[in-house]
Amino acid sequence: MKLLRPYFKAVVNARKLLVYTFLLCFALLIYMPFLMIALKSIGRGWFGRLWLPPELTLDWYRWAVEVTNIPEITKNTLIIAALAVAMSTLIGIPTGWAFGRRKIPGKELLMSMILLPRMIPPIAYALGVAQIFYRLHLINTHFGVALAHVAICAPYAILVLSATFEGLDERVLEAAAVCGANPLRTFFHVILPLILPGILSSMIFTFTTSYNEFTLTLMTYGKDTITLPVRTYIAMGEGYWEVTSAMSIILVIPSLIVLFMIQRQVAPEKLVGGFKGV
Amino acid sequence: MPDYMIELRNVTKRYGPIVANDHINLSIRRGELMTLLGPSGCGKTTALRCITGHNIPDEGEVWIDGKDVTNVPTHKRELGMVFQNFALFPHMTVFENVEFPLMIRGLNKAERRERVMEALRLIRMEGYEKHYPRQISGGQQQRVGLARALVYRPKVLLLDEPLSNLDAKLREEMRFEIRDLIDRLGITAVYVTHDQAEALALSDRVAVMNAGRIEQVGTPDEIYDSPKSRFVADFIGLSDFVEGTVAAVHSDQERAVIRVGGLDISICARPDISSPGEKVLLFIRPNNVELLPASHEGGQNIFSGVVHKMTYLGDRADYRIIVEDELQLRVQTDGKIRFHEGENVKVHLPIEHCRVIVE
Repeated sequence: MKLLRPYFKAVVNARKLLVYTFLLCFALLIYMPFLMIALKSIGRGWFGRLWLPPELTLDWYRWAVEVTNIPEITKNTLIIAALAVAMSTLIGIPTGWAFGRRKIPGKELLMSMILLPRMIPPIAYALGVAQIFYRLHLINTHFGVALAHVAICAPYAILVLSATFEGLDERVLEAAAVCGANPLRTFFHVILPLILPGILSSMIFTFTTSYNEFTLTLMTYGKDTITLPVRTYIAMGEGYWEVTSAMSIILVIPSLIVLFMIQRQVAPEKLVGGFKGV
Repeated sequence: MPDYMIELRNVTKRYGPIVANDHINLSIRRGELMTLLGPSGCGKTTALRCITGHNIPDEGEVWIDGKDVTNVPTHKRELGMVFQNFALFPHMTVFENVEFPLMIRGLNKAERRERVMEALRLIRMEGYEKHYPRQISGGQQQRVGLARALVYRPKVLLLDEPLSNLDAKLREEMRFEIRDLIDRLGITAVYVTHDQAEALALSDRVAVMNAGRIEQVGTPDEIYDSPKSRFVADFIGLSDFVEGTVAAVHSDQERAVIRVGGLDISICARPDISSPGEKVLLFIRPNNVELLPASHEGGQNIFSGVVHKMTYLGDRADYRIIVEDELQLRVQTDGKIRFHEGENVKVHLPIEHCRVIVE
């Protein structure tokens, strides 16, 4: 046994090496493109022949803000996202409650029907949405674009919220009543604190979904409702790769903030109820 | 002051076609620990939920402390309750959990703190104020549940299978702890369980339930020694049942003879046995049957038998005995004198332990 120990050690080390190499490759695959646009957005005269840009500049960001009117577009994007979040949450709370806490015949089938808009190719779905919206004059309105987003945001909200409400233990609510809390106080002292993390995470998910949405926006936007992802795409067509890169970075920042919020504020263990099994 | 703290009067509760509580009448005295005992699905939890107000009975009335509370919502009934799955508020610390009923009642902060700490001392959980329920063990969670139920000194404490999620050893410890706590506080308690040992050990009185009805109400002694139905005898402890007919009732009404096949077994007569020829069910606890060596002679209710099977259980020996080729009895002895399979023995059915159930 003792003789074999160094051999085992070598095998373990080789395995470790393999795992780390794999992880590094994986990280490169994910983060390289991100690094490329970051460098492109602050470099001048960098066409990829050198490892790093020869000269650093913030001009492209100035261009992006001035030429493409970033503040206005950001405002559009946020209004649309806020509307989509509000509508999805309003739909998600009652629907999620029904799915999570009531016996519904054919629950699985209904749930897959709700998830359908997320399953079919976005471009096909968006085409249908656009045709209807032209007739209803919803094209080029904040409400219209947001409504299109709801089709793919609401399923997220329903999914997350039904899981949240399902985790709400009926006995805990009964305990509150026995302790003397009337339904209103039970709601504010017990139900709300237990479901708030779920509602917040649902809102964060729907926000990022709407904020990042491209295909549905492309088919429903107009000059007054242009959003950051669509404007970035248009800038690419205009041929200024450095400006497009700068816009991409601007586009990414809110997502990073949200990611940070998810990590810090909405810790995963807070999302599930605290009842440690039997 | 009314004699009874809780009264269920003719309470009926249906779930669709299922009658979970079928005209239940139960009166619970002040300061008494009453256990609702029965197999799962017998309606004991339904009855408890009628007391808490989580169920509104379809018929009948629920009275607490001399008031009809049938239509009073749960939060106005001034109850304390301990749940099977503890049902602590997962987002609150131990302190906040116990404080909750006091906060709802609007007590000031200093008084709240004092009473919470007193309750935590009572259940020996000082030092755990800042822990969350998920950070403490099941037994500790249940003690916190108990503190939360008792902290505002409710009229009644309800316990719904409070120990069934705990392991066997802890269960036994908690059993005594709960009884001790209830004695010290002098509170009226209703305890729901399917565990007959728990019921016998804890209760002042037991209500045995079956199929939505109460089969018998009595002290643990009464329930164990004089069950009124086959179900009660069978559910609580081990029983040998023998079907027979009344052969004779002695004139002083204190003895009767039951004929089982070719055997005549004497019993202490029950007042409701009157006429010979009546069919009755004779029953005796296996640990009340005496086994004697085959050489033993004479005596009342002594029959010959053969050991059919013997199982050694450590503190006891468990026998199946064929008596006079007529009937098979289960017998448990302390195992000091052991008989072997195939051995001839004498079986003594002590007259004071032979009971009958008139069906």
